[in-house]
Amino acid sequence: MVDNGVIADDGVDDSRRKFLLAATVATGSVGAVFTAVPFISSWTISERDRALGAPTEFDLSKLEPGQMALAKWRKQPIYVVRRTPEMLKLLADHDSQLKDPKSEDSDQPDYADNAMRSRNAEYLVLVAVCTHLGCLPKARFEPADPGLGTDWPGGFACPCHGSRFDLAGRVFEGSPASKNLRVPPYAFADTHKLVIGLDDAKGAA
Amino acid sequence: MVKVRIAAPAAFALVLLAAGAASTTAPAAEEAAAGNAYGADWASWRADTSVSDRQSLQRGARDFLSYCAGCHSLKYMRYSRMGDDLDIAPDLMQQYLVPKGRKPTDYIVAPLPPADGTTWFGKAPPDLSLIARARGTDYLYQFLMTFYADPSRATGVNNLAKDAVAMPHVLSTLEGEKRAVFKNVQTRAADGKEITSKAFDHFEQLSAGQLSREQYAAFVRDVVNFLDYTGEPAQAHRRALGVWVVLFLLVFSWLAWLLKTEYWKDVH
Amino acid sequence: MATVAKPSGSEPAAKAGGLKAWFYKRLPIEDFIRSQLTGYYAPKNFNVWYFFGFIALTVLAMQLLTGIFLTMFYKPGEATAFDSVEYIMREVNSGWLIRYLHSTGASAFFLVVYLHMFRALLYGSYKAPRELLWVIGMFVYLALMAEAFFGYVLPYGNMSYWAAQVITNIFSTIPGIGPGLTEWIRGDYAISDATLNRFFSLHVAAVPLALILLVVLHLVALRQTGSSNPDGIEIKEKVGADGKPLDGIPFHPYYTVKDTFGISVFLVLFAIVVFFVPTLGGLFLEHANFEPADPLSTPDPIAPSWYFTPYYAILRAVPNQRIGALLMLISVMAYLFLPWLDRSPVKSMRYRGPLSRAFLAIFVVSFLGLMYLGMRPPEGIYVLLARIFSVGYFAYFGLMYWYTKWDRVKPVPERVRFDSHG
Repeated sequence: MVDNGVIADDGVDDSRRKFLLAATVATGSVGAVFTAVPFISSWTISERDRALGAPTEFDLSKLEPGQMALAKWRKQPIYVVRRTPEMLKLLADHDSQLKDPKSEDSDQPDYADNAMRSRNAEYLVLVAVCTHLGCLPKARFEPADPGLGTDWPGGFACPCHGSRFDLAGRVFEGSPASKNLRVPPYAFADTHKLVIGLDDAKGAA
Repeated sequence: MVKVRIAAPAAFALVLLAAGAASTTAPAAEEAAAGNAYGADWASWRADTSVSDRQSLQRGARDFLSYCAGCHSLKYMRYSRMGDDLDIAPDLMQQYLVPKGRKPTDYIVAPLPPADGTTWFGKAPPDLSLIARARGTDYLYQFLMTFYADPSRATGVNNLAKDAVAMPHVLSTLEGEKRAVFKNVQTRAADGKEITSKAFDHFEQLSAGQLSREQYAAFVRDVVNFLDYTGEPAQAHRRALGVWVVLFLLVFSWLAWLLKTEYWKDVH
Repeated sequence: MATVAKPSGSEPAAKAGGLKAWFYKRLPIEDFIRSQLTGYYAPKNFNVWYFFGFIALTVLAMQLLTGIFLTMFYKPGEATAFDSVEYIMREVNSGWLIRYLHSTGASAFFLVVYLHMFRALLYGSYKAPRELLWVIGMFVYLALMAEAFFGYVLPYGNMSYWAAQVITNIFSTIPGIGPGLTEWIRGDYAISDATLNRFFSLHVAAVPLALILLVVLHLVALRQTGSSNPDGIEIKEKVGADGKPLDGIPFHPYYTVKDTFGISVFLVLFAIVVFFVPTLGGLFLEHANFEPADPLSTPDPIAPSWYFTPYYAILRAVPNQRIGALLMLISVMAYLFLPWLDRSPVKSMRYRGPLSRAFLAIFVVSFLGLMYLGMRPPEGIYVLLARIFSVGYFAYFGLMYWYTKWDRVKPVPERVRFDSHG
């Protein structure tokens, strides 16, 4: 308590002070939170970059069976693989060696939630970002590749930390990665045009 | 954020299909002075537009894209942004407003190559995204309303708001053609000498356009309103948010005042 | 192992006390709170003119915050600057708000600083022992002007370009080294990418650092002498039994609470501008700057931002380029000499006589008049008025040495005048 002739704070309504102080601090805090909102939201993806992240088209007519091409969507590399019947056969019998053979923990659209991890068996579309720490997995389609072992069924091998994925992008046991490679949304505008980033390409120009 | 209202697409479709621009605003003030002195007070004509008039903006968007976007780009505007803000449904956008082969997220770019613009008009048609902020809506309104026939010029027209304008009177099919009548006036030059110069007196209509004077003024208002919008698309949102912010701050000020007076009771 | 005193009380309280004590032992926080807040005594008779220092500090903090965020999206460079500002306005979420906060903040900063400086003229706050406080404050003002100038060039609109052109041209009036100096400042034959990029670095890094340092020095100098007050008497000369000034009150809670109110009123006015009239009819954001820089087309009319126009008017009032530039420089620097020009025995205008009051009034009218005229084209009656107001402006400083000595003074009170609200 102070009383030096200048400040006399006896006879003070302490509860009113506490209340007003609390009310002011509370209102001020609310204001501070609202003030933070525009600054935080400025970091969200801008309209320009959302537009740049729009679906991209890919021409399938030049892709030979057994070949893989590199497409781009949302500034990320996308693998488009045209699988041969032989490659598809090799997908069948190594479920026991996979961490997530039914893709229960992995990211893919509904139509890729199957053993082929794709809309149709022939074309595989994957986000070429290793689910461990993000490197670009290399294509190692040759079965029984000397570097990868005689029982290697063909697939992808990441050069950074050695994660391995099969020809449906499913991750093998023993890999540092724990999830299968992501499948992006995609659709076929017609037999030779793939649209990456859309679930439904009907009516796309 | 895509705001798609149910009523808006229907409303916008009606707007699109209407022939010409229907005037929903009161007759232009200049009409009152019409007759034999039309245009005498052109320098005090006001655009009188409001960006909260969404229907006007929709008409303006349609009209701009029909009549102006061939030469003038809006390079900071996306079709999709315009559609969101103006409540135009995406399929209507795609069908009527987005040119073939362009995506809705594209910027509104004019097909006219700048080099050709310079060759044909002497000056490339400028981008108009920010023209309303740079010159003001009143000027833009006056500009589009004061073209007159001038056979001495290559384009055949001149303009009161911008003398020796490079732009031809693109909207003459709508407004018709008019000529400017000048009168001789005595003025004092800067050095005090009396000189005779020509001053604009009034317009005379030479041929009728598709629109009446009223309708044309309303058309111009819509286009100018749209350009006001493209100058700052966030302005409606800004004002709406501002109301809440100021109210909140007034409440906070009141609390801060109570707190201050309470504590200052101590001080003698 | 250090022993921590265990206060009686619940365990969590002891833990909290322990954490606070841990910090207090390692940083002079307790000392700081006592010396700067609860133990710092400020005069109790502060009036409305005493709000503006704290408001200026708040605006500085806001400019730093909004400026940092703008720098995340702005791209310096002749080809990219203008587009990047429109990117911020249209495509960055809430970018328009951050931009307007920064542009309005710049003008608000000057308005507040001018009112803050005027307080010193009104109450003689620059007089001994506060001369250095005033001088440091003047350097804050100069740094602020530099910061505003560099910042204004960054959007690279047409006014940005021509403002840079005109101001850098002023340096070419310096005899001998002028033209070479101007080219060195620009980094090119004319304002260009080179100029823009270095102005960006100065605006974002160099001058803010200098500003923060100067503001800290300004506050340190203030705490050393203590604040003056509207009566101009030194409160430390009358202390009570407890050693505290009889006319002083602890800064915390009394002035923390009062400044909170002051800030909230300022924010109401600030928000009204930001949300409803951010361009203020072309005063805060000029029309010409919504067109990209065009070296072939000077805006008509051309004028600097409103906070520079008084000095610009003085520059134009003089028919000789070199003398005009020199007088403009003197007009800005004149404030520095006030502590030594002012020979009045009293500080506050409340106790000064008619001469001081008249000259202060002349100064205010001239300053505001010059501000207005600087925005108008230099023709007709404006030319004469600008010259008259320039004379008035310089008279305030130039004749002060004499009129402050000859002026009548009223007796200064023993204790401050204070109306209790309690």
